[in-house]
Order: sequence, then structure tokens, then C-alpha cells
Amino acid sequence: MAQWKPSGLGPEFTYDLSELKKVDPALIHYEQAASVPTGMMKPKAIAVGADRRLFVAGDGGVRVFDPAGKPVLQFETGGEPHCIALGKTGTVYVGMKDHVEVYDASGKRAAAWKGLGERAYVTSLAVGEADVFVADAGNRVLLRYDTSGKLLKRIGEEDAAKHAPGLVVPSPYFDVALGPEGMLWLVNPGRRRVECYTYDGAFRFAWGKFSMKVEGFCGCCNPTHLAIDADGNFITSEKGLPRVKVHDDEGNFKSVVAAPADFADGTVGLDLAVDAKGRILVLDPKRRAVRIFVKKRS
Amino acid sequence: MPTDNTTNNKTTRRNLFRKGGLAAGAAVVTGTAATLAAKGRSDGTVWQIDPEKCIQCGNCATYCVLDPSAVTCVHALKLCGYCDLCFAYFSPGFEPEAGIEAPAVESQLCPTEAIKRRWIEGPHYEYTIDEELCIGCGKCIKGCNNFGNGSLFLQVMHDRCVNCNECSIAEACPSDAFQRVPANHPYLLKGEDH
Amino acid sequence: MPILVALFLMPAASALGAERFALPKFKSGYELPPLEVPPAASDALEYLDVAALAAALALASYLALRARSRRALWVLMAASLVYFGFYRGGCICSIGAIQNVVLALLDNGYAIPFTAVAFFVIPLAVTLLFGRTFCAAVCPLGALQDIVAVRPVRVPAWLDHGLGLLAYVYLGAAVLFAATGAAFLICEYDPFVAIFRLVPFTRPNAMMEAFGGSMGMLILGAGFVLVGLFIARPYCRWLCPYGAMLRLLSRASKWHVTITPDECVHCTLCEDSCPLGAIQKPTTDLPRPDRLIDRRRLALLLILVPLLLAGGGCFGRYLGEPFSRVHFTVQQAERVRLEETGQITGTDDISDAFYKTQRPREELYAEAGAIRGRFDIGGTLLGVWVGLVVAVKLIHLSVYRTRTDYEPDRATCLSCGRCFKYCPVERKRLKTLKGEPTTP
Repeated sequence: MAQWKPSGLGPEFTYDLSELKKVDPALIHYEQAASVPTGMMKPKAIAVGADRRLFVAGDGGVRVFDPAGKPVLQFETGGEPHCIALGKTGTVYVGMKDHVEVYDASGKRAAAWKGLGERAYVTSLAVGEADVFVADAGNRVLLRYDTSGKLLKRIGEEDAAKHAPGLVVPSPYFDVALGPEGMLWLVNPGRRRVECYTYDGAFRFAWGKFSMKVEGFCGCCNPTHLAIDADGNFITSEKGLPRVKVHDDEGNFKSVVAAPADFADGTVGLDLAVDAKGRILVLDPKRRAVRIFVKKRS
Repeated sequence: MPTDNTTNNKTTRRNLFRKGGLAAGAAVVTGTAATLAAKGRSDGTVWQIDPEKCIQCGNCATYCVLDPSAVTCVHALKLCGYCDLCFAYFSPGFEPEAGIEAPAVESQLCPTEAIKRRWIEGPHYEYTIDEELCIGCGKCIKGCNNFGNGSLFLQVMHDRCVNCNECSIAEACPSDAFQRVPANHPYLLKGEDH
Repeated sequence: MPILVALFLMPAASALGAERFALPKFKSGYELPPLEVPPAASDALEYLDVAALAAALALASYLALRARSRRALWVLMAASLVYFGFYRGGCICSIGAIQNVVLALLDNGYAIPFTAVAFFVIPLAVTLLFGRTFCAAVCPLGALQDIVAVRPVRVPAWLDHGLGLLAYVYLGAAVLFAATGAAFLICEYDPFVAIFRLVPFTRPNAMMEAFGGSMGMLILGAGFVLVGLFIARPYCRWLCPYGAMLRLLSRASKWHVTITPDECVHCTLCEDSCPLGAIQKPTTDLPRPDRLIDRRRLALLLILVPLLLAGGGCFGRYLGEPFSRVHFTVQQAERVRLEETGQITGTDDISDAFYKTQRPREELYAEAGAIRGRFDIGGTLLGVWVGLVVAVKLIHLSVYRTRTDYEPDRATCLSCGRCFKYCPVERKRLKTLKGEPTTP
């Protein structure tokens, strides 16, 4: 007679994260300024253009919103999109599980690149002046392409000679972002840190440490997402304790954008973007909305 | 004799009633049996937990007619990330300053120390469930679902389950996660095709 | 309550749960061990159960009707208690099988196991032939109560008859709850299953559970055993829903156990021998002055029947709504509704489980509404059934029957054989068999 009945188990059997989810309010320097409903069941990724247009990928396609949050364009992709990035000329790159598709500004498909094989699990894209970087979590590698889809380099694989530690990606969250000084920044989630590489794949250095405390990266494999603002500050998001934080250009913890209390339990996949005005865009897949955070005025 | 006649009449009438009842009863019983047979029979079913519905309330550990419960945690290694800092293994407040190689008991999440781990290579460890120690409380599953890939889940172990007609855990299950499955296909395993 | 076995009717579903994601590239040659889980027990044991049931019934019928040996019946009863009770844990049982059968007849998605059909049908068929020999020495619930009945006291007939109606009510309720997919009441409130499973020894932690778990079952079982010391077989007589069905069939049985092996000599010795009060005295042949009153009462009753049925139906319909709350989906919908309307803040396990499915609330409400509708009909039918039971009982009590001998009441007699040894004819028979030399 399935009525709710207590299990009668002792307190040692309780799984409780409430203490760890608490964040000192003084550390929270941001507040939510707006929220754009995506209208999708499963939004997966976001990107924001120089014109502050918002691109949301998910539900088998891409939706574009103007800066006021009004939908302006919608197009389908050749599969379930995992990630999205924008080229300087308005080109849209969409990552599927095992390949990349290229669309022009009107949503017309311009190209579909060669598949990456069975193991592939593409989770992130970053687009530079002449390069497209594809993060393949399944193969634990970052691939550098030119804009025509020609593979130039495999980056991040373990190489003792080059002191490259290798990527540890335990779950399908593996992000890449481009820094302002021509550097590549990869999340190495299984080591709970952010690593810097040159475009040629040389490992430079890493920052970040494990901690359940707010200044560290929590859990087995975090951060899940990474974005870099114009000043070189790092914005990261985590799962387990869903939270969004800012670290300075040297990796020192600066502040909290959104604390676990801002998200529903079990929120995973907080994709990030920073727009030209420095606002932080957070995709909240549980609320199916893009939440826009700005610095508190005080 | 009149008295005898009445008695005889009564007896015959009662016998007639009884014969009618017998015929009716036989008809009902054979009818039911025939209907059930026509509906087709199954080759037996057993109880199982749908991992998609399970919310790890803890009732599996305490409501089973067996002790320890017939429900234990199962680990689908093919979904596991082989993490060094597994938060189904370490308690949530764990900070690895003291090193992660030989964690103290209080650093382990499982109250019965049923999760065992073995170093494979680099930062990769293999985690297995000691079914003898596991009581099916589901605490580690919450840790794995929250931080990791959700490779741990609860299942009814059929070398233990006595297959009650009405499962007493199912009665106490707040998420309707118990269902009967064919005995020749008795598990609902994550990461396996069904 | 999860009883639907729709699983194997569904198209082959994709892999459950988390997204498949390639393992790390191990360099040490580590290979993924296969996921090993123990297989389910083979059906062989279930067929053994059915064979054991059939054999025990045949033997019980032989021992009661032909051999007329209480001692042998007792041994068989003890063996049944050990096998069906303690060894098989009181499950599978014929009483519980009622629910499986009801569900199988009403729900096309439910595939009934062969054993449940066999355990339901075979004792019914045997009862039609030989009376309730199933109750005498095969049913483990009966056996447990029979063995503990050390100081049975006589229960007044009016009380016995009145309480006996409870079994029909329980049968109706069990059918209603099984038919609506809400619960298997008979299993849930089986008072002896905790004893069969030796809960105090196998489940030392049961003490920490809330009432309603194994602890509650154990308390219920202990209560029945305590009562059973002084009142023989209380569950069998007044509650057992399968017994209620057997009562009806036994009335019409082809053969039945008799107190005396031959002619009744009206010695009255057996009169108080039955702890169940199932021995009926002969009626006197003297004209009864109250026959007319009886007839009048009967006529009045016949007029009352439609009233009883209608009243029962109305009352049952009124109960349909509270009864429906036993159903999981109705409970879940109510909780979710309260949370939606803000009457309750926060969630509990039941509502969390619903939110996890990400289904729209309206779907849940509609499903719950349909179940409530079924309970409205089912509750009405249950009420009519109870009305009918009461009416038939009253009529039955008002009909005068002539009896010339001491006879067992075919409905309530469980063929236990306790009365045999009180009969002088029986004693003579035994002495004859044992004492007199046989000539070739």
C-alpha cells in the first residue's frame, strides 16, 4: 500500500549536501538581471555573438534570440547538438556527438565535417581567427582544425617528452575556450583544473585545485564549463554543487556568480558565455532558460 | 409413514440442491481455470527495481522480509568514470589533504564500507560493491548521481529474493519503482540493452 | 502498487539511464569486467510446489474421508506447515492467489504465473469433491493456528455466524483492491507470514522500523497466535477470504467427511467435540410452534433484500473515494496537487518521484481521476456484495431444516477429524479392525 513510510535508517545513512551548498553571501558579487526562456525541452549549449545575439542549441536545432530576448531565427541541425560556437563572420559551428556542422548567418548549412568515429563525444567548440577547436571528450583530445575542416593538430594527449599530463575526462563534460592572448584554455576535469596550451599544442601551465569549498573545484570532475571574458577572467561552472564562479587571469578565486541555492537539485550542464558588455550568460537546463547575471552595483 | 415421507422429501430436495450446487461450482471452477488458461500463462515473474524511477529513499534496506535485504547496489562499470576522487566512495565533506590512498573510515561515504576500490593506472580507480556488506541503502547512488555518471543503482538480487507475491519493499516504495519482470530476464541494468 | 507486468510487452527499449560514454583509454591493459548478476531461481521449484500441493490435497482427502485418522492428518498438517509455511515462507499460497487471478481476469497486461493459477484452482476443485480438506491439513496458515489451539473455548453461535461474515467482506475488499491495481491486501495483512519467515531471528533490525513493516506484521501474527490459543483457528473461521469461497463450494461437495463411519446412534458424545462449533445437532421431530413466526420473518427478509443491496451500494460508493487513496497514483496526485496549490510547501519522496519523471501534472491528475472512477464503481459493487452477504445469511438462518443425525456443517467443517474419536461407532470400527482375527 505504497504510502510514504520512513526507512528507519540512522543518520549515518543520510546523504546531505546542505552544508556544502552554503555560500557566504559576501562572496556573491553578481545578481540575475534577466532570463531568456529557450522554449526548448533540452537546451544543451549557448553562444553569444558580438552583436549580443544569443544562440541556443538543443532539441535538434538552434534558436537565435536578439539582445532583448526575442526569438529571431530558428533552424534544424543534422542531429542532436552538443555545443555551439560563432565565427567572426557570423558563421555558426554546431558540434554533434561525433561531428561538426557549419551554418551561415541565415541558418543554411554550409558544411558537415568528417565524423570522428565511434568513441567520439564532442562537448565543446571554440573558434579563433583561422582555427576551430573541437573538444572530443570521448577520445580525451582537443582537435585543432582550420575553418575549412582540415585537421591540423591533436592537442592535450599525454606526452612525457612535452610534459603534457594528459586529459582525464570521466564524464561527458570537457570544455575549451580561447584566451585574449592567443592561448588555448582547456578544462581537465578529472584533475579539477584548467590547463593552458599554445595553439601548437604545447602545455604551458595549469591552475585550479580540488575542494568542496567555494574556492576549489568540487566532486570527481569539474569544472564542466569555462568561459573567458575580455579581461582574461575565467568564468567556470560546476556540477554536483551547481555553482558559477569567477577566477582572475592568474586563476585566483574572485567571486561567486551563482550559488548552488540558485539552481534546482540535480542541475547539470550550466553552459556559459560572456557578452560584449561583460554580462555572464548561464544556460540553466532545468529551468530551460538562459539566465543573465550582472555585477551587483554596490 | 407420513413423517418418514416428509424427511425423505426434504432429503431429496436437499440432495437436489446439493447436486445443482455441485454442477454450478464445477462449472465456475472449470470456467475460471479455462479463462485463465486461455489468457496465456507466463513463465513466472520476479520483482525488480526500475533504476530510472528509484529515488534511493532507503526503504529497500529496511522493508525487505530478508535481512540483509535482497536489494543491493550494482555497479555498471561501463558507465563509470574511474575517478580518483569518487564521491560515491568518499563522504561529501572529504578534503584530500591527508592523501587519498588509504582513506580513513570516516572519509568513506558507505556506512558499511561495502564499496571497494582498486588502483588501475594514473588517476583511475576501479570501484566494486561487496554484496555481502551492502545493505541496499542507496546512499552511494545519490553521491554518484549527483557528482558522477550515475553508474551505481539498486537491483533486487535473485539469489536472495524469495519472490513474495506482494513485495513488502514495493508496498513501502514511494516512487512506484518496483515492478514484475520475466524471470528469464530478471534485471533492469543501466548501460545494458534491454 | 506496481503489479503491471507490461515490461515484456513493450518494444525493446534502449539502454537505461546515463548516456553511454567511452571509458578512459587504459594503457595498462585493464579490461572491463562484465556486469555479473545472479540468475533468478528456475521454475523447477515452482512446479515442485504445485506437485506438493496436489499430493498433499490427495493425501489429506484420503486421510479424512477414508482412513479417518486424525493423527495422520495432524502429521500431514505439520509437514505442510514446515514446507509451505517455514520452508517456502508462506508464499505462494492459495489465499493470496485470489488476487493474482482477479488481476489476470481484469488486466490484460498482467501475465499470471502458472503456479498462482494452480494454487487457486486445485484446492477449489478438491473442495468440490471432498470438502475443505485443504483447510484440514494443507494450508500452512490453518496448520499454524490448528497446532496452537490448545484450550479452545466455545464461541456463541450468534457471534460465530456474525464474525463469519467478515470473511466475505474481506474477500470483496481484496478483490476490489486487486482489481483496481491498488494493493494486494491479503498478502499485506497476512498475519502469519512474519512468523513463517522467522522475522525475530532473520530480521533483528525489524525493531527499528515503523509500524507497518515487518514489525507490524509480527505483532499482528503474535496477536492471532495468542487469540488462537483459546479460540480455534480465528483467521480460518472469520477472516480467510479463500475460506469464504471454500465454504460455498464445500456445501455442494460430492463427498464430505462424516462424524460417524456408519449409522449415527444419537449418543450426543460428539456434540462438544468440535472446537469450531461445526457440528449440527439433529432437529426434533416435534411440531414447532414458532414455524409461523419463522415464515413471517422470512417474508419480511425477502422484502428487505433489495433495501439491503441498495443501502450497501450507496454506502460502498461513499467509501470508494477514501479507498482510492490506497492506490499509489491517487496518493501521488493528491500530494502533487497540494504542492501545486501551495497548501503544502516542500516536497516529499512521493512527489519527488513524480517530478523526476518530468511528466505534466495534468497527465497524473487524469490518471488518478480514472482510478477514482474505478473505485466509485468498485466501491458500489463491494457495498452491494456486503448487502447480499448479509441478506443471504439472514435468510439462511431463517430457513428451517430437518436433520436426523449429528452432522458436520459442510460449510464450516474443516475436516480436521477431531470428532472421529468421540464416536462410539468409530471406536467399535477401530477395535474391529484391530482386534478381530481375520480369516482367509
